[in-house]
Amino acid sequence: MKRFLSRTLPLLMVLIFGVLGAIQYFVPHKVSQVYYRTILTWSIGVSSMAVIMAAISFLRYHYKKIMSSEGDTLYSSIALVAFLAMLGFGAFGTDKGSLFYQFYQNIFVPINSTMFSLLAFYMASASYRAFRAKTFEAALLLTAAIIVILGTTPVGSSIFLDKVTMWIMSIPNLAQKRGILIGVGLGATATSLKIILGIEKNWLGG
Amino acid sequence: MAISSSIWVWIAAFLTLAVFSFLYKDNIIYKMVEALFVGVSAGYSIVIILKHSFVPNIWKPLFVSHNLLYLIPFLLGLLFFAMLSRKTAYLTHIPFAFLIGSGAGFALPLVFQTNVMAQVKGTMLFAPSHYPSLGAFINALIIFIGVLTVLFYFFFSRGEKTNRGIIVKTGIAFIMIGFGASFGYTVMARLSLLVGRLYFLFGTWLGILH
Amino acid sequence: MTGVLLIAFLIGQSAPKGFTFKAFDTPNDQGNSITLEWSGDTTPIKIVRIFRADNAVGPFTPAKILFGNIHSYDDKDVQDGKPYYYKIILITTENEIIASPVLGPVSSKPSWFDMSKLPLFIVLSFYILVLLYYILSARKGKEIKLRPIAGLNAIDEAVGRAAEMGRPILFTTGLLSIDNLSTIAALNILAHVAKKAAQYQTRLIVPNYNPAVYTVAEAIVRESFLAAGRPDLFNSDDIFYISSRQFGYAAGVTGVMLREKTAAHFFMGYYFAEALLLTEVGASTGAIQVAGTDAITQLPFFIVTCDYTLIGEELYAASAYLSKDALLSATIKGQDIMKAVIIAFLVILFFVAIGAESLAMKVANLL
Repeated sequence: MKRFLSRTLPLLMVLIFGVLGAIQYFVPHKVSQVYYRTILTWSIGVSSMAVIMAAISFLRYHYKKIMSSEGDTLYSSIALVAFLAMLGFGAFGTDKGSLFYQFYQNIFVPINSTMFSLLAFYMASASYRAFRAKTFEAALLLTAAIIVILGTTPVGSSIFLDKVTMWIMSIPNLAQKRGILIGVGLGATATSLKIILGIEKNWLGG
Repeated sequence: MAISSSIWVWIAAFLTLAVFSFLYKDNIIYKMVEALFVGVSAGYSIVIILKHSFVPNIWKPLFVSHNLLYLIPFLLGLLFFAMLSRKTAYLTHIPFAFLIGSGAGFALPLVFQTNVMAQVKGTMLFAPSHYPSLGAFINALIIFIGVLTVLFYFFFSRGEKTNRGIIVKTGIAFIMIGFGASFGYTVMARLSLLVGRLYFLFGTWLGILH
Repeated sequence: MTGVLLIAFLIGQSAPKGFTFKAFDTPNDQGNSITLEWSGDTTPIKIVRIFRADNAVGPFTPAKILFGNIHSYDDKDVQDGKPYYYKIILITTENEIIASPVLGPVSSKPSWFDMSKLPLFIVLSFYILVLLYYILSARKGKEIKLRPIAGLNAIDEAVGRAAEMGRPILFTTGLLSIDNLSTIAALNILAHVAKKAAQYQTRLIVPNYNPAVYTVAEAIVRESFLAAGRPDLFNSDDIFYISSRQFGYAAGVTGVMLREKTAAHFFMGYYFAEALLLTEVGASTGAIQVAGTDAITQLPFFIVTCDYTLIGEELYAASAYLSKDALLSATIKGQDIMKAVIIAFLVILFFVAIGAESLAMKVANLL
């Protein structure tokens, strides 16, 4: 029974839902549309129920950190209190004007935007890393990057770099994207087939 | 414009400076703000997922409209609880199978259409007379060569010799130029985000900038 | 009253020469739709009035008024299988009136196959057959030689290095949900890394963004430790949920890197702007970093900040390479064949286009 529930049934399910899902794309009939909408709603619904496991995981992770003596007590306490506060506020509504919204807007948003803006600095350090690599590939990457950066500035457009930038973006960059996309498409299709046929079953523990 | 008198602006300014302090080094203030951020964003995520995914897709159809068909996803979702015990954990394979199977099935033709068919179609090269100018033909030819050589790069069953060949090297060159271009193109967008934060500090908070 | 008489008069009219009206079941649809089309030499159309009846003699009742130079309309207010009759009256910008004859009977029905997707169906079926051929020949024991991929060899190297240093490994599976193929590809690599980590008795930390992916990742690591014969080393607290907000997640992960002093970082699956935050902080800790993604916009950042990066298709090939499973590897050969077919198709089409442009265009339009 355990083997049936842990392997046979799941493999049967990926086969059935996989084949039906793939066929659905070619069938415009109502039956097929209803199937698609139903399964999509169910998928979102089922995944959303994993959120309870996620919440338990979060609580357990920080609770254990607080209880251990590794010096993370303060930080995990802050995380836990903030987490529980948001859950508590959320229970009383999430509309504009609610405490949930206030905390989101005034705590989450400023930290979030600042985190995002850190990327400007990280781009600089990443460029330096590429510069130090001193390989032919890195040189190509950096040259293209510098041309495009200059091309988007007024200085660049005065020496026609804006046109070069446009050309790089719409010709070699497009070619590269297309080539990679085709490869990804072939690889993803093959992976999908292997899952449906039960050849790829790492998700079942190999 | 004068220095802000709003308590929320002062809090936001403190949080902003705390995050920036990480650039210098990991420190107590940053770690506290990071913990606060992680806690708030986790709590926010859970509430939003419950509100926007669970309530409309399971709760309402099943417990409000009494559509018994939704008992199926509800029960599948309940099986996640099996992971709480090592003895029953294997039962989670059932909801996994539903999600992975339907996801793989729906994706299969779609990913082939958008990634393979559409891209191959876009790459097709015609006679020079088909294009409005010789320049347009040359551009189409460059894209054509780029796509083919990049595809060559991805051959997995090729020998060692072709690995060093001119075709694969051209493919790598296209990949690197393309990556460089995306990299450069993103720089400006990121700088504008930084400018936005600096404007908040010096404008909204300190009132120096207008 | 005069208006009704006028309409009655107009409905009795027939179309001028050279002007065609068509009414037919909308093709490739789910049913409940009839398409009306009209074309011919005229000044731009100003108003279209559509009348509908259940039988050829009427009474015809107004079904729709359209304004503008429109040449087709889908009547979606119909029942499948029921016959309908139409009359269409066009009024041009010069107030010329063109009336159709009675169109019909026409009835709608749902289609079981979308003919517009036939080319996709054929090409995809061909590809699947190629893949199946190689899977079956692998079953018979035929071996496939694959070139080494630097990033994949680096995976074992990175695990080994973390083990030597006695420091943990960090693995992230991207920001998309479990129904996404790049997430599944990432989880397949996780299974391999988890087995290696168990063998080397090294701690493996997996922080998660998506709740459902968290549950799967936990199961995969647990079962991989079991498969490697070290279930005692599995610690479920090392696979945990952080947040489903991009930068909240990134902040949590970088926190783990700095505080847990992880020595090997794996970034597999799909990422957005937070990628650079993860990898740049990661690189500053001196950890060995291996990435694998099909997120084209983020690939440049992985390339410059990670020691090895699996690009696009390599992410999908990884599971087969790492498992050394003959069946899994078989499809890689099939992928290569398809690439060769695509290259050949594009080259041949180009030569056909030089010789016979119209033939090449016909082929192109089919896709």
